[in-house]
Amino acid sequence: MISWTRKSLLTIEELKPDEISLILDTADSIKSISDKTDPIFSSLKGKRIINLFMEPSTRTRVAFEVAAKSLGADIISITGEASSLTKGETLKDTAMNVQALGADAIIIRHSSPGSPLFLSKMVEVPIINAGDGAHEHPSQALLDIYTLREKLGDLKNKKITILGDILFSRVARSNLWGLTKLGAKVTLAGPTTLVPADFKLLGATVTHDTQTALKDADAVMLLRIQHERQSASHFPSLSEYANVFGLGPLSLEWMKEKAIILHPGPLNRGVEIDSALADSSRSVILEQVSNGIAVRMAIMHLCISKCLDKPL
Amino acid sequence: MTLSNHESIDIIGARLVDPNSGIDGISNLYVREGRLYHQKPSSEPGQRIISGDELIVLPGFLDLRTHCRVPGDSKAETITSLTEAAAKGGFTSILTMPDTNPHCDNPATIRYIQDRVNQDSKIRVYISGALTIQSKGESMSPLGSLKDVGVVAVTDCPFTPKNNQIFLNALKYADMFGLVIIDFPQDSYLSRNTHAHESFLSLKMGLSGSPRLAEELAVQRSILISKHLDIPIHLSSISSKGSVKLIKEAKGAGIKISADVSAHHLLLDHKIIEDYQTNAKIAPPLREETDRMELIFAVQQGTIDSCNSSHQPYAEHHKNVEFDLAPAGAIGLETAALTFIESIQGKDPFKLLAEKMSYNPHKILRLNPPSLKDNCAANFTVIKQDNPWIYKKENSFSQSFNTPLDKYKFKHKIILTYSEKGIAYIDKP
Repeated sequence: MISWTRKSLLTIEELKPDEISLILDTADSIKSISDKTDPIFSSLKGKRIINLFMEPSTRTRVAFEVAAKSLGADIISITGEASSLTKGETLKDTAMNVQALGADAIIIRHSSPGSPLFLSKMVEVPIINAGDGAHEHPSQALLDIYTLREKLGDLKNKKITILGDILFSRVARSNLWGLTKLGAKVTLAGPTTLVPADFKLLGATVTHDTQTALKDADAVMLLRIQHERQSASHFPSLSEYANVFGLGPLSLEWMKEKAIILHPGPLNRGVEIDSALADSSRSVILEQVSNGIAVRMAIMHLCISKCLDKPL
Repeated sequence: MTLSNHESIDIIGARLVDPNSGIDGISNLYVREGRLYHQKPSSEPGQRIISGDELIVLPGFLDLRTHCRVPGDSKAETITSLTEAAAKGGFTSILTMPDTNPHCDNPATIRYIQDRVNQDSKIRVYISGALTIQSKGESMSPLGSLKDVGVVAVTDCPFTPKNNQIFLNALKYADMFGLVIIDFPQDSYLSRNTHAHESFLSLKMGLSGSPRLAEELAVQRSILISKHLDIPIHLSSISSKGSVKLIKEAKGAGIKISADVSAHHLLLDHKIIEDYQTNAKIAPPLREETDRMELIFAVQQGTIDSCNSSHQPYAEHHKNVEFDLAPAGAIGLETAALTFIESIQGKDPFKLLAEKMSYNPHKILRLNPPSLKDNCAANFTVIKQDNPWIYKKENSFSQSFNTPLDKYKFKHKIILTYSEKGIAYIDKP
């Protein structure tokens, strides 16, 4: 059995398939114990974790807070607006100060691609990437993959379609790395301006026809249209996007009967997904959120506890 | 104060390479009072004697793209550190870019730089003026007044005017004063807020990329305008293989286009940024291996006329930040010539080096190239072959050390640079 040797979780790209499975299996153990009893985990008891969130976030930040507390850690969240970064302090100085204040690990969300790697060269403590620009979002991909594995079983040769703003999406990149490493067939779909053909070089199938993208898929993952990352206009309007690429009642006719729908949130109801569909039985969106806690507990346990024999 | 140091020197048994006079062979060279002689002028030996068949003597280099930072950012560079770095790299002359603070769009700033240079430099510093005010591309700089105070070239490097009408008129107007026009070809919209070459790698890294097309559109614009106005335009820092093709065709059609490439682009490709190394983030971005090979070929074939240092110093705190927040640019004066030698395939890169870093840059600036002919003004550089050394912060003269070549082992070494002011650099082993 593979052992976990990493101090930090920076990308899915760097993980081996066995390492991904180990995180998912650890999350499975956590979830199955949690489902049966009201357990008290303590593998991070006495640890001080800093949630350094330089970009807005609800789900990810809170999920890390809940996960850390569930493992017995103290967690302090610092947001961009409330930090000295607004006074001109550099990320390097902020992180070194956070370390000097006794942090045992830093969870970072930042708009700059590569910022977790940058931090890992500056400080000694484990760094967990909670999303860096358009680069990666490992914990989101792991919870997505966890949810897919839970619903579809072994992901080998399963067809997963990711539809939407792929160009600016760290979720798409991390999922593409993770899913292909586990043998799934990934299709990326959306307008030509948001789905570059070069993604084929990472093993994806690329299409710009929504029907083609949906018809054989075992699962469809929708991505939010990210207004904040689009420096130029990549499509005419939100309503046109909704008409051509949004998932609506007509799309259901193209999809397999048992195909499930995922979304990393936050949803733009009526844009990438029809509101009723988001709340339908096909949707596993809220299960993703719940699974996010177990998966993040697994990540923190593996990276931070440093004593893997220690019980959870 | 003057920094002249006309020490007499005897160089014995070195190979002289001079494209200006056609000299290429083993000879002795005697430097007396700032002039070169092939025969010893008197029985008196020189104050300094260097000898050996591993020595190569070349005419002094001229850099066509130095971002000088004076005035405006003395933490990044001073005239002393800048020109000492240049001299260490074999440059006896440099051309500064206008992106200082205040900008080089007014005579007062030019005069200030000249004063600093007169005080602190052991080499010749030519100054380029901004083509447009603040290089914003909105209105023309006072080009006639800039010419009056000694500006030799005009450019908006590292930008280029977006507005074609202003660009066209500014070029017409600049040409009236005989100013050399240098364009830094990048389409402003396609290259705006980009941080790397647009490729699979930038896509994977989540970085917005600048496509080759951003450069090629601007190259083609300059070619068409040069043809339309029948005036010469020099294209600075070509990085795309597509640009090479366009320039080759334009030259073939008799259009008055010349071009240079940065030494970094001859040695490195974009893979060096894979771990978000900000010192390898430069403008234009490092591109792919196929581009690098085409650029080298274009240098060898003559499509690309010269090689620059694209020296852009930044203080450590500006570069040691998140990749997309770091400014683009790397220092290059100390390493450009040696990088050129490392990049060029073939056994004898020195003739090509003399052509691309001395003879052609002078011709592009419409200056008389230095020569190694008997009884000429002394302006030369001596390289010691097979004398490996490691480039590192401790032996760098530039005040900044934002280089992708940290700890690079160079095969050859520059041991002496002699400018119009005498010894500008001498290696102390």
